[in-house]
Amino acid sequence: MNQIGFYFDQTRCIGCYTCVVACKDWHDINAGEGAWRWIIPVEKGRYPDVFAAYLSLSCLHCAEPACIPACPAGAVTKRDEDGIVVVDSEACLGNSECGMFCKEACPYDAPRFGAEEGAKMQKCHLCAERWHEDKKPICVDSCPMRALDAGPIAELVEKYGDAREAEGFLYQADLEPSVIFTSKQSKP
Amino acid sequence: MSKAEDQNRKTSERTITTVCNCHCGGACPLNVHVKDDKIVRIETDVGAEPQFRACLKGRAYRQRVYAPDRLVYPMKRTGERGKGEFERITWDEALTTIAAEIQRVKESYGPPSILFLGSLGDVTWLHNAALTEELLIKAGGYSGSWGSPSGEGALLAMMTSYGMPAMGNSREDLLNSRLIILWGWNPAVACNFGNTRLYLAKAREAGARIIVVDPRYTDSAAIFADQWISIKPGTDTALLTAMAYVMIAENLHDKSFLATHTMGFEKFQNYVLGNSDGIPKTPAWAEDITGVPKPTISSFAREFAAKKPAALIDGFAAGRSAHGEQFHRATITLAAMTGNIGIQGGSAPGGCSAMGDMLMPVNLGPFVSLRMQGEDNPVDLAAPPRKDAIVAKRMGRLGFYMGVSQSRVHRSLIADAIIKGRQGGYPADYKLLYLVNINYLNQIANTNKIAQALQKLEFIVAQEQFLTPTAKFADIILPNTTFMERNDVTTGGIGPFYGYMNKVIEPVGEARSHYEIVAALAEKLGIDIFHGKAEEDWLKEIVHDCRDIPDYDTFKTEGVHKVTLPVPFICFEQQIKDPAHNPFPTQSGKIEIYSQEIDDLGDPLLPPIPTYIEPWEGRNDPLVQKYPLQLVTTHTKRRAHTQFDNLPILREIEPQAVQMNPADARKRAVDNGDMVKVFNERGAMIIPANVTERIMPGVVDIPQGAWYSPDENGIDRGGCANVLTKDVMSPGGAFCFNTGLVQVEKVKE
Repeated sequence: MNQIGFYFDQTRCIGCYTCVVACKDWHDINAGEGAWRWIIPVEKGRYPDVFAAYLSLSCLHCAEPACIPACPAGAVTKRDEDGIVVVDSEACLGNSECGMFCKEACPYDAPRFGAEEGAKMQKCHLCAERWHEDKKPICVDSCPMRALDAGPIAELVEKYGDAREAEGFLYQADLEPSVIFTSKQSKP
Repeated sequence: MSKAEDQNRKTSERTITTVCNCHCGGACPLNVHVKDDKIVRIETDVGAEPQFRACLKGRAYRQRVYAPDRLVYPMKRTGERGKGEFERITWDEALTTIAAEIQRVKESYGPPSILFLGSLGDVTWLHNAALTEELLIKAGGYSGSWGSPSGEGALLAMMTSYGMPAMGNSREDLLNSRLIILWGWNPAVACNFGNTRLYLAKAREAGARIIVVDPRYTDSAAIFADQWISIKPGTDTALLTAMAYVMIAENLHDKSFLATHTMGFEKFQNYVLGNSDGIPKTPAWAEDITGVPKPTISSFAREFAAKKPAALIDGFAAGRSAHGEQFHRATITLAAMTGNIGIQGGSAPGGCSAMGDMLMPVNLGPFVSLRMQGEDNPVDLAAPPRKDAIVAKRMGRLGFYMGVSQSRVHRSLIADAIIKGRQGGYPADYKLLYLVNINYLNQIANTNKIAQALQKLEFIVAQEQFLTPTAKFADIILPNTTFMERNDVTTGGIGPFYGYMNKVIEPVGEARSHYEIVAALAEKLGIDIFHGKAEEDWLKEIVHDCRDIPDYDTFKTEGVHKVTLPVPFICFEQQIKDPAHNPFPTQSGKIEIYSQEIDDLGDPLLPPIPTYIEPWEGRNDPLVQKYPLQLVTTHTKRRAHTQFDNLPILREIEPQAVQMNPADARKRAVDNGDMVKVFNERGAMIIPANVTERIMPGVVDIPQGAWYSPDENGIDRGGCANVLTKDVMSPGGAFCFNTGLVQVEKVKE
């Protein structure tokens, strides 16, 4: 398998939310529905010695996804060719019939359900359709700061190094999330 | 999406290139996917570098076009002004009523009683507020206003110091700087032309040191800066003056630059050293005023003097305060003292735009092309000249719109002028107000007073896309198209690039473009305004006049025409390289640190050299007993001024809240997220508290632009910052949105 994943440069991210809104526009997600990509602001320290950074996250298409075994309907699968974790919304039981076990299992909060009765799980599928047109995911192509990239993990590692953690992000070795970072270091 | 679905999508969708344009300081290409005349999704510039990638606002534009609260037919007011009760009427009834009211008011009271307020809601070359002004001129004239809420203080500083409105090198030149100072400027949020933020990130990565001076630890401070210097609002000029003291005392200033290129430095030096007033402006003096520790001031001054080239970029924000013009006069002086004007890697201060569009006549020309070909406004011509119109009188015919004559009132004072009229010393008794692209009530100081003033008028018409707080006061509302629904042309500001804003879809509902509205109203008034030319004829003329664009049809097809500069544009490079042949257009031909022109006005509160003047409603105002917190009103990432505030997809990004330090919150038993009342004599609002270490104690921030939404007790629930700001202009014309005192208390609801 040629696992595809994300790269995120935390030293570049200004927390502008363009990736989040571009994702919603591309995938027709309305306000109030579960975002496939989101921003986590990080703030540390005391005035005037303050540190702040942002983390742009989505489903990280783990090598060993916790959501797959958690799903009672077998609706979540990992594609053989590229490791993208996808959900079959026909098979998904929805938020009222199942205990949203996938959401509970994922430490990164990637599986999202709308608020309405019976809403199915939805999450990032790495813009699987855009790769056919030789386009990167919409979030990557939207970033005004070029802080995001996506591609085969091996290539990303070669290009950007192999840092697996960032401020506000904890690497779960048992899941092997497919993401690498340039981390913004807080002052010692 | 399956491959079959994907294929189906591709065959039925078209992509049309247009340019997002919403008065944010930028303009970004959008590749809009359309299916059956509906926008289905949006991509941005994926073309050649430099790409201009749209931000979240551009990406949310589909939601704006199809927003359920979009105005889609003309309406007339049925309830009390401000309550938002309207009923649908036809275009014919709306236009007939407006034409009749214009005639009635003109005949009963004279043309000066017709007041026009417009804004750069969409910063484009054809469909802008100027069309309506042109029509009103042809109808007999109108009263206008003067003053740029963004940067009138900066304009005065540039005009008096350089003799022309130009500032900043082109942004890619940041890569040549060793030191970059972002003073009261937060480009991470307020974009100020495409790729500014990207160049700042790249400059930092290339080793430039970046210092941010701001009361808040902004996103720019967090992401770009090596050092954050927090400063009390309204005291920036004191810090700059003390830095000058250190440079003079330690003999660090560039005496050769000052001697060759400036005039009046000795007078400034006398002030700095205390020779003229007995107060040496030492770091100790400034520490008390600014809250910046003495050693920080000294080391900052030494670093600025030594690390060359250095770009001091002065945000308009610090100039939007009491005596804000002094701030920009001081930044220009410090950049001259360090020899950083007119060189690569340096920067000419005077605001945070870059290279001044204004140096490129083509950018200014088409913007006002229609009215430049027209007649002057009889109301402006009839009134005597304004004595203090330093900015306006240098702007040629554009000067009328910038306030060369006394027919115009400063924009901060319009409400007062409506209320008091000629008896109060204002030039006219206003009766009719024509609003285009402007949420005046929301965006100018003292919103409650403006609401009161609007009740006094006989007739108000507004052209809008949404029922804004201001539009709620209109008697007739005309629905405007967005840029997605009309053809237009624009500039990307810096880059430079030119954008053909292709019409993407037919107008939503009965919305009409500015051009169509003005043409229809002109017909009702029996006026020939467009000489039989269609919209596209004008666009072709504009493009033809623009030397950079080779051919209209190619431009229209491609949507974007990028102009690559062979080398970065350096503002005032010629004036500095060869001053003998390229004098500054000032009286002395040099950068005027001392301005005779200002001196001649004889206003002690507008001194001829950059001077720190204690602001009203500052930390030493006795009013602090009642209202101990200084208010700043900043930009937020989810709006462009007041635009986009109503879109849920952007609202959910962050709530409108008052930012305050935990030390101030603790004193008031306020926790993060608690509802608090923010108030002073002018008004009150109830909004959540955003308690954070990212703002200095004693200062609170309410991002400007949230829509005024008063409850039954007159308490604003929308968080409109101008409910709290004071309707007063600085002696040099600066707007004072960042000067004001407030109190905060917890509310239980």
